[in-house]
This record gives sequence, C-alpha cells and structure tokens, in this order.
Amino acid sequence: MAKEHPDPELDRELTDLPPELRWREWMRRIEAVLFASASPVPREHLARVVGQEVSVDLLIEDLAADLEGRAFEIAQAAGGWMFRTRAAYASAIRAAADVCDQQLDLSEFDVAVLAAIAYHQPITRDGLKDIFGREISRDLIGRLNAQGLIGTGPRAPRRGAPYTFVTTDVFLAAFGMESLRDLPDPEQLDDAGLAAHT
Amino acid sequence: MTSVCETSLGDEQTLARIPGWVTSSRAETPEDVAFLSGAALAHLHFAVAKAAAFQALLRDRLALRAAEACVAFSGRPERVGELRDAVHLMRPGDLPGPAGEICLAWRRAVERPMSVKALGRALPTFEPRQIATWLDAGKGAPVTRAAMVLETVLTEAPRADIAGLILADAALAQALGWEHLMPVLASDLKRADLRKHGDDLRLACLRALIASSIEAVRLAADLGRRAEHLRAVAPKLRAKGAREAVEMFLTHDAVAPSALPLPDRAARRLCDRLVDLGAVRELTGRDTFRLYGV
Repeated sequence: MAKEHPDPELDRELTDLPPELRWREWMRRIEAVLFASASPVPREHLARVVGQEVSVDLLIEDLAADLEGRAFEIAQAAGGWMFRTRAAYASAIRAAADVCDQQLDLSEFDVAVLAAIAYHQPITRDGLKDIFGREISRDLIGRLNAQGLIGTGPRAPRRGAPYTFVTTDVFLAAFGMESLRDLPDPEQLDDAGLAAHT
Repeated sequence: MTSVCETSLGDEQTLARIPGWVTSSRAETPEDVAFLSGAALAHLHFAVAKAAAFQALLRDRLALRAAEACVAFSGRPERVGELRDAVHLMRPGDLPGPAGEICLAWRRAVERPMSVKALGRALPTFEPRQIATWLDAGKGAPVTRAAMVLETVLTEAPRADIAGLILADAALAQALGWEHLMPVLASDLKRADLRKHGDDLRLACLRALIASSIEAVRLAADLGRRAEHLRAVAPKLRAKGAREAVEMFLTHDAVAPSALPLPDRAARRLCDRLVDLGAVRELTGRDTFRLYGV
C-alpha cells in the first residue's frame, strides 16, 4: 500500500537478522521516525520502514510497553502516533521554559475563532462573522492556516463559492484529541476548556 | 427458481414490492423480528440481483443514507443535502471536513468489489490485517455474523462505530454472497443500539434490517424505473459526450454539471434537457451549484 517512494537504500525486510533482533530493529526505526516528527505519523508511513506485512500496531504496542516508566509516551492522535510527554510533567516543563509559546502562538481571540471553526465546521468567514458579530480578519485566518491548524474544506454553495474552513489533524494533535468527538461540551467551552491551553 | 423470476415480467412487478404481511406487521417477540427480518432480507437479495444494471447507483445512494445515519450518531447536524455538497464541492487540496469524511468512507467502501484492500481504502486508519480479522469475527447466519462483527469492532475500538458499521455491512454482504458491499445496516439502527451486546445487539440488527430492507427494495424499484426511463431517452440526446454523461448518471447518486465530460455550457444544457425529459432531477433546490441525479 505504502509504496510511493520507498527508499532504495533501506532494507525493510532485514532477512540477515535473527527474528528477535529484526523485531527490535523495526521497533527502533519506528521510534526514530516518531522522534523526528513533530506531527502524528500515520500507519502507512510507518509501514514503509518495516517489513512488508509486518503489523505496525504490534510494534507500537511493544514500543509503548518499553516506554513504561519514562516521562514520555506514545500517543494516538489524529489517525497516527506521536511522542508526547506525560501529562504529569506538564508543570515541570512549564516551570523550566516557555515551551508552550513556541508550539502555538495564538491570542485568546485566535483560539475562540479556532474553537468556533472546530464546532461549526465547515464554516465560511461570513459564517464566523455571524457568530462573533464582527469581521474575522484574513490575517487571523491566515495565521491559523499557517500553523496548520485549519485547512480549506468544501466550497460553500454560495455566490463566489467561498472557502469553508475545517480543522486539521495538526489541530487534533495540538490539543491532544484523537477525534473531534473529544471536543468539550460547548457549554463548558468558556470556563473549562480552551482558554487554559494558551 | 431464479431463472423463473428473471424471465417473467409478472414476477418482476411482485418483486418490486415486499408483501404487506412483512411491511405492515409489527414484530414484538424476538422470533417475529427474526422471521420478518429474514423475509425482508430475502426480498432484498432478489432486488439486488435484479438491480445489476444500476447497482452502482443504488449502492451510492444507500451509502449516502448510511453516512447520514453515521453523521447523526457522531452528534453532527449534517443531512443528506450537506453531505452531497461536501463531496461534490470539494476541490483538489480541500479537506472533506468531519461529515464529508464519513461520507467518503462509505462511498469508498461501496465503490469497488469487496476486498480487504478496498475496505482498507475506506478505513485508512486501520491496518488491513486488523480489518481482515474483524471481518472474520462473525459466525452463523448472515445477520448474526454482521452483529458479531459490529460488536467485536466496538469492543476492541469503542470509538470506531463507522468502521464497525461498514465492516458489519461487509460481513453481511459476504454472507449473502454479494460481490459489493450494500449499506443497509446503519441507516435504521439507533445510536443506543451501538452500545448493546450479544442477543440485544443481534435483535437490534434484525429489527433495523426489516425497515432498511423494505426501504432499499423500494429504492431499488424506484431507481430501476428511473434508470430505464433515462436509458430510453438517451438516444434523443445529441450532444457530444451525452453517452458518457448518461453512464455517469446511471452510476452516481449525484453529478455536478461541471463533472460531466462536456463543456460547461453544454453540460448545463444537457442537465436541463434531462430534467425536461423527466430523466433526472435537480437535487439541491438551488439556482447555482446545482447537483443532478436519477
């Protein structure tokens, strides 16, 4: 399935290794790929670095078991996997540096617009204007888009076929969600939810 | 037996409708539910065989219905109209959005003859090996098999209700010896049914299949008439590319004029002409961004 550009150099099958070492090596490869990637890596991509017909799920399971007791874990997000520090260390990380700022540079209003898009997608700029009672600037949309948090959805069937906006896998990963069903109840949005992430 | 049904016109008309003792009975006991479900499903089996000439169209439309049900299960407000829009107004590089994604999964599941590979295309977040295992999770009579597949998927991946429903329909189709997946299970299940187990879930599936088989048979009969009419008027169309256009209408739930193999203006004229001839309908009720379908 994932045969787009297999690296000719990469020996996927590792036939010269005994089975146990081979499995280890495949686990390490997956570990390396996840480590190097800032966003969740889908199964098809991981399948390219291990033997044909080898279960990525089982390798991930073993890798996750290996990471027991470490400060980070493998998280499933947005149809793929990524490394993530365990939630228990959030305060330590915050105390050490402004790590959060480097990840997402969003104002409170940006987050509100992002939340509106998440709940009402696919939605046009006009639709957002109706929600907020004011024009949503192209800059703001551009900022969310540049960070990969939103993308364009199907066009709205209206004059000029305006773009609609939808959230992306990066959005899910950034907020630690596996799917949009993890969005908090709309009522809780104001006090409990998204403001805490900025 | 089948050869008799296929040759006689009288049977064709009888087959277009499920007898009243199935459609109007209210099943109370599990035995009654199972009995009526079996009767309805047997009828659907004939209807599907008879629909060979426009089966892709039937599947596409049933897929849309199934997608609508799944979108509702996920707590989203989109209905059939919005789902069609999502699929047809997407341009290269656009994302389908949450509802569009569900719709695309169902359409991919019915597009090609059933295989683990085709189902893997519809459900890219699951490993083909996993899909194959789930697909084989059921035993026994067709509906029992489907219900077992659904239960297994939902037990092992509680959020994967779309995968569960697609694979349950796939298992049902396999058990009935169909080449393609025919989406019938999802549309008449209720959200609460997805949390049921064992006998309760099987009963819910059997009950859902009474209603959905009746509806699918009715739809098949209706589409059959319309498809026949479209074929009958096709020779009147003189536009270049009209043959290919008619073929598209006979295989797709909806077609945007811009997707037809004709220049824009000619495509719009062809659609208008087909509407005048009563061969296709405009599906959106809009003046612009129209979509046409049999």
